[in-house]
Amino acid sequence: MNSPVISVKDIKRNFRSVKKKDGFKGTLELLFKPEYVIHEAVKGVSFEIEAGAFVGLIGANGAGKTTLLKILSGLIPPTSGEATVLGFTPFERSIEYRKQISLVMGQKAQLWWDLPAIEAFDLLRALYQIPVEVYKKRIDELTTLLDVTKLLNTQIRRLSLGERMKMEVIGAILHLPKVIFLDEPTIGLDVLAAQKLRHFLKTHNQKEGATIILTSHNMDDISELCRRILLIKEGSLIYDGDPKNLTNQDECQLKVQLLSTPSLQTIATALGVSVQNISIEEEDPTAYRIVLDRKNLTSTFQTLLQHFSVADIGIQEPSLERVIQRIYQQ
Amino acid sequence: MNDSEISSRSWWALEWRLAAIQNGMRDAIAYRLEFLLEIVGSAAVPVILQLVLWYSIFKTSGATQFAGMTYQELISYTWMTLLFSQIRGGDLDFSLIEMIRTGTLNNYLLRPVGVIQFIYMRGLGERILIVTLCLGLGILSTAFSSVSPFQLILGMLLALVGNVIAFMIGAALSSVAFYWENAFAALMVKNMIVSLLSGELLPLTLIPHQYSWIWKATPFYLFVFGPTQVALGKWSASEWAVQMGIGLAWIIGLSLVIKLLWGISMKRYQGLGG
Repeated sequence: MNSPVISVKDIKRNFRSVKKKDGFKGTLELLFKPEYVIHEAVKGVSFEIEAGAFVGLIGANGAGKTTLLKILSGLIPPTSGEATVLGFTPFERSIEYRKQISLVMGQKAQLWWDLPAIEAFDLLRALYQIPVEVYKKRIDELTTLLDVTKLLNTQIRRLSLGERMKMEVIGAILHLPKVIFLDEPTIGLDVLAAQKLRHFLKTHNQKEGATIILTSHNMDDISELCRRILLIKEGSLIYDGDPKNLTNQDECQLKVQLLSTPSLQTIATALGVSVQNISIEEEDPTAYRIVLDRKNLTSTFQTLLQHFSVADIGIQEPSLERVIQRIYQQ
Repeated sequence: MNDSEISSRSWWALEWRLAAIQNGMRDAIAYRLEFLLEIVGSAAVPVILQLVLWYSIFKTSGATQFAGMTYQELISYTWMTLLFSQIRGGDLDFSLIEMIRTGTLNNYLLRPVGVIQFIYMRGLGERILIVTLCLGLGILSTAFSSVSPFQLILGMLLALVGNVIAFMIGAALSSVAFYWENAFAALMVKNMIVSLLSGELLPLTLIPHQYSWIWKATPFYLFVFGPTQVALGKWSASEWAVQMGIGLAWIIGLSLVIKLLWGISMKRYQGLGG
């Protein structure tokens, strides 16, 4: 492993908020004797990331992903613990540090709403001291790659979500930051726009060697881009490794085509599994998906053949999405 | 650091500020009619109020002087306050608390420049357009009054120093929003005090002499009253220089206060949203 560019040691972050109670009494109490609650958004997370890595930071809503990105980008300090990025302590917010990082938040516009993208890029050029010739060439390259050249003079607020996100990403990488934090960059994008953005990010990561941390609820983003994922649950890091290892574990999925349409409960009883592990394909009521332990594969095959008229049967590896979904639910 | 590095840093320091001003100007005129209506709207009410007041006082009481000025001088005073209060104006401090409250401050915090300066420079873009407009109107009006263009320009310069101070006071007060999540009321109170003690609503000469220390102890008189006095020739060039010095001292003091307050308060920032 190369020397880490990001090092996080036992980071914790708490937020204090006022507890609001219902009714008039609650309003009065809030006014004269507010009660505070402490929410632990990040609970002692540690990891290291080497230069040039493309890492997925995933977790359910409120798991602490964005908080972690805000800490690493220097927007907020951790309550305790240590974080260093490129050798800097992020919250010291040195100018040199800020010149080398970037943060894109999919749910928050960072370019100025009423101005065309090119006006914002011109300002970013001056802020990051990009030589004019280099800037022009880079704008040309990036907008061509993302197919938004014709939209450079259109007000940001008049762009579609996908077009705006492409502009946000261009604005974020214009100065070729060494570390890029991407918080749900494909949120709300259609399949084609998301695919184009993924391809662009992958190419940028390979070409420029930038270290990228990506949060996303779209598992296509993670499986296509990230060779490593950090899975956060309720503020704690519960998995750190290759996403393939998550899907190759003890679970697998059977796709069974029957000649009849028994109820899910009937199949679950016959196989001795939970009914939650069985689902019917939307487009075909005779096709079932059964999630089971890999060690029970042979016995399940036998039971199915004994109890039902099977037309077709096949093994499918569980998708990353399914695995993550199960982890969230546990 | 060698000479070329110093030169490169100096050029960058100038370049990003100019770019921010230009960006702010373009943002301000994205909606031209809105921009003009805002200026006219914010100026109309205090001016009409003052004109009605002067007319009533002089016509009903038959007085020949009020607050040490004749009726004609008070009309000139009102016209000048109209111009200078536009330079003082702006709601950048309100924008700042909104940014802190909603987390949009992130966009500025991530950039490799001082956040307060960056926000001010963008706001200055809009203010420069207003200053140009006011200067044009002011110089045009000198043809019909005893005000000299030179005095008017000196007054404008003092008003610009006042604009910087006004923003800095707002920026210092905005740090309250890191604790209370909102500082709207604090800024409204500040604006009311400013309206009274800047000479925007009434000439400060109305305040009895023994209480003049009240307005002299604040920098607010530099926003409107001071520039008006310079433009109307009530303050000499040397008095102007002294007041510019006082203004610069306020700027230095306030920049230290802002650095301290924001340095402490930023630890409370939550960067909400996202």
